[in-house]
Amino acid sequence: MTPIQIVVTLVGIALSIFIAWFFWLAPKGQTRVSAGVSGVQEVAITVKGGYTPDIIVVKAGQPLRMRFTRQESAGCSETVLFPDFNQSAKLPEGEEVLVEFTPEKAGEYGFQCQMGMLRGKLIVE
Amino acid sequence: MVKDPVCGMEIGPQSAFASREHMGNVYYFCSENCVNQFDRNPHSFVMQNPEKVDFAGSATTGFNPNLRLSEIELPVIGLKKGGQPGAELIKQALNKHPGIEKVVINPIEGAAVVRFDPQETGVLDIVNAIKESGYKVGSAQKRIGIEGIHCASCVQFIENDLATIPGVLSANVNVGTQEATIEYLPEQTTLSQLNAAIEGWGYKTRVASSDQPADQQEAAHDKEYRSLMNKFWLATIISIPVLLTAYPQFIPIIRDWSMETLRAAWFGAALLTIPVLIYSGGHFFTGAWAALKHRSANMNTLIALGTGAAWLYSTVAITIPGIFPEGTSEPFYDVVAVVIALVVLGQALEIRAKGRTSEAIKKLMGLQAKTARVIRNGQELDIPVEEVLVADVIQVRPGEKIPVDGVILEGSSAVDESMLTGESLPVSKKTGDEVIGATLNKTGAFKFRATKVGKDTALAQIVKMVQDAQNSKAPIARLADTISGYFVPVVMILAVITFVIWFDFGPAPQLVYGLVTAVSVLIIACPCALGLATPMSLMVGIGKGAENGILIRSGEALQTAQGIKTVVLDKTGTITKGKPELTDLIVADQQSVTGEELLRLAAAVESISEHPLAEAIVEGAKTRGLSLSKPEAFEAIPGHGVIATVDGRQVALGNLKMMQRLNVELGDLESKSDTLANDGKTPMFVAVNSQAAGIIAVADTVKEDSKEAIAVLHKMGIEVVMITGDNRRTAEAIARQVGVDRVLAEVLPEDKAHNVHLLQAEGKKVAMVGDGINDAPALAQADVGLAIGTGTDVAIEASDITLIKGSLKGVVTAIEVSRATMRNIRQNLVGAFIYNVLGVPIAMGALFPFFGVLLSPLLAGAAMAFSSVTVVSNANRLRSFHPKFSAK
Repeated sequence: MTPIQIVVTLVGIALSIFIAWFFWLAPKGQTRVSAGVSGVQEVAITVKGGYTPDIIVVKAGQPLRMRFTRQESAGCSETVLFPDFNQSAKLPEGEEVLVEFTPEKAGEYGFQCQMGMLRGKLIVE
Repeated sequence: MVKDPVCGMEIGPQSAFASREHMGNVYYFCSENCVNQFDRNPHSFVMQNPEKVDFAGSATTGFNPNLRLSEIELPVIGLKKGGQPGAELIKQALNKHPGIEKVVINPIEGAAVVRFDPQETGVLDIVNAIKESGYKVGSAQKRIGIEGIHCASCVQFIENDLATIPGVLSANVNVGTQEATIEYLPEQTTLSQLNAAIEGWGYKTRVASSDQPADQQEAAHDKEYRSLMNKFWLATIISIPVLLTAYPQFIPIIRDWSMETLRAAWFGAALLTIPVLIYSGGHFFTGAWAALKHRSANMNTLIALGTGAAWLYSTVAITIPGIFPEGTSEPFYDVVAVVIALVVLGQALEIRAKGRTSEAIKKLMGLQAKTARVIRNGQELDIPVEEVLVADVIQVRPGEKIPVDGVILEGSSAVDESMLTGESLPVSKKTGDEVIGATLNKTGAFKFRATKVGKDTALAQIVKMVQDAQNSKAPIARLADTISGYFVPVVMILAVITFVIWFDFGPAPQLVYGLVTAVSVLIIACPCALGLATPMSLMVGIGKGAENGILIRSGEALQTAQGIKTVVLDKTGTITKGKPELTDLIVADQQSVTGEELLRLAAAVESISEHPLAEAIVEGAKTRGLSLSKPEAFEAIPGHGVIATVDGRQVALGNLKMMQRLNVELGDLESKSDTLANDGKTPMFVAVNSQAAGIIAVADTVKEDSKEAIAVLHKMGIEVVMITGDNRRTAEAIARQVGVDRVLAEVLPEDKAHNVHLLQAEGKKVAMVGDGINDAPALAQADVGLAIGTGTDVAIEASDITLIKGSLKGVVTAIEVSRATMRNIRQNLVGAFIYNVLGVPIAMGALFPFFGVLLSPLLAGAAMAFSSVTVVSNANRLRSFHPKFSAK
């Protein structure tokens, strides 16, 4: 092996580890939602290449209201699904759409676009 | 004394038949009829009671400024059945508001009734207060086309003018589309008023081109498709010169260019591909960046990395060729342009194909009638269907669509309900029968009272259910979802490994081989095909069900239905019609009366009785065109029968005990009666002047198609079980008629669920078919609960699947749809898995050591683009699915 091959190999291994760490292992930013005066936990979510915020921490047993606004035209993100809550909503571009329910049980629930390209997580505590 | 709000009769509260509390007031009723009418729609009667408040919300009473308080009923969108948290939030928001006297929220009807002081606040403020609490007020939104509007200043005038009309919540005029979008409360204003306001400014109004909300999504898809096609054409046109310079050795003339000319051409290619990257492929990069910010990766990431790497390498290679070993400084601009062109084309085709998957919904939405002929104050008005109110009387002529759900008041007709139920034969309708909105009136004219409008109509509920189901997840998708969650980073790591292996062990030029293979890996991997596999088929399959009158609540229900091994059928109302009918007429040998005479006499006696069996006899006589005399001296003897005098003859009708009591000699009638009873019928002896005259038998008869449907279920390898509370003899008689394998008789209603559980304990997937009301626990217990819907109530909570048409053939079709859809999903999933499992290693160069072939990144791009199109197209194949019992 030439020195340059050794360097490329090491860089490759490092890059692979970095990819695994970056996408799977590194802790992700969480957005904690607290209830307002009305008792509703409310959060605005922007849909553009992903959900911002995408990890949402809420309290169990309190009504949750998510305001989705889709700022892109790509067909992929036009529907948001909460399969565990049997909720779904069509998101017309540029329009605010409400998704409301009360998460009763603590746990981690995913939400996503129809084909699962965009993903988010709802953590109920 | 108080006034019955329904009929207006003065009655004493103590002597009232019943009382009801509604919105804080107590109402008393003179009769059962009145209280039933009130229960059906309490609000309509309270609204006509002008003593306390004026009801601004009523289109019929209008607004009276002399009275201090006004009341308005506002439909609230988004309230959950239980009403929480919405009801409390809206109440809080409104109570903070000045001038609000009282707020009542009815979550079942989804309405807020607000009593307010018009001096202090207005409808608009109330609507805004509800909006601030996060709910929407159900208003009508109407787009009105305005011809020839160009000046921006006129817009302001028209908008202001529209906004002053009471009931208008917002008005926007768009000069670009030449349309006004107006949100208004249909109870307060009418479309003609809105039109008049616009016409007052000298403009002509027309029907807006983009009226249907269903078209909105389609329009968005169209726009996206056109934009993608533009991107594709740009990339394609640029690909041609770029391809020519990429393979100079194959192209005449270019072949003879000197290295310097070629290098200059490559610089040209570098510049040409920049617009491709920015315009045609820009969304890959922005998408990838957005995902990266969330520490996630998707298809955009792969395409952006692949094409980005190719472009960067190429540009470095041509600007500073010295840093690379000899022979590796050739660019790959062709990869950038061609791959982007192909993938964008794939996306465009995918959108097209996807549009077709939701055709069923579009068809359903298109069924809605546009206008209704409403009779208000004795006048016929043609109004838009959105403005029809509950309790409006609507006139329907032959050949017209029925606009909303309701009950026929006068007239009769045959109605074609095939668009909703899949039933091909027209259904005859008479006074008192339910009609369903969007169905087609065939022969007669009739008037009906609207009972459900807007989002409550059967059609709207069907559309909602189908949409929800189409967007739900089938359990089979879980695996694909889990995989696609890890998919993209894994592919990226594989690309890195590929590069390293080729660089370390590959033939020269290693750098080029490494790069080409790594880029190919990034491009060929297609998480989309995996992600699309289930939802696309689900869309088509559930839509197909809806077309055939089968509403599948979720992907899970659809998936479970394919594996059903046992179908449990409730007897009454499911296998049978659920209503007794006259079946047999036996005249005693020695009697001189004819069969008709026997029936006429018996029916005359029974015409007073309210027993369902009596009704069947009377109904039977009427259908035979017999006119009934009035009975005298009617007497009902509990546990025995009835006796009365008809046309001077004493007629007795009853069981064996009744005959013994009258000392009637029955002769062979007794054994004939036993035979009838063995067939599951209810025989009744008739005696005229204490002489045995004959037997009349009634029975709950089986539906015409039950036998056929059960036979097909058997053919499909499914065990059919009948469950009933009836005695074993009756149950077995019915079972013999329709060919059921197994009978569970004498089961108490509350034990049905337990019996379903016992069947499940035998290790079988059990489907329960029932009416959805009495059988709710059993439906919920079963793996799949199928409710037989009748009339306008289609959203039956307890069921996984609702059969709109009350026929057992629907069970067969439901299982067929489920099997066909699941087969399609499996094809898609297997296809997508195999594609990726084979494609990625080939792109890595797995074939190279054996055959010396490498996959070109261009081919990888083509494969990736068409893999997802294939998945969507395969899902579309389901559209040609035809059930065994087809309506068409």
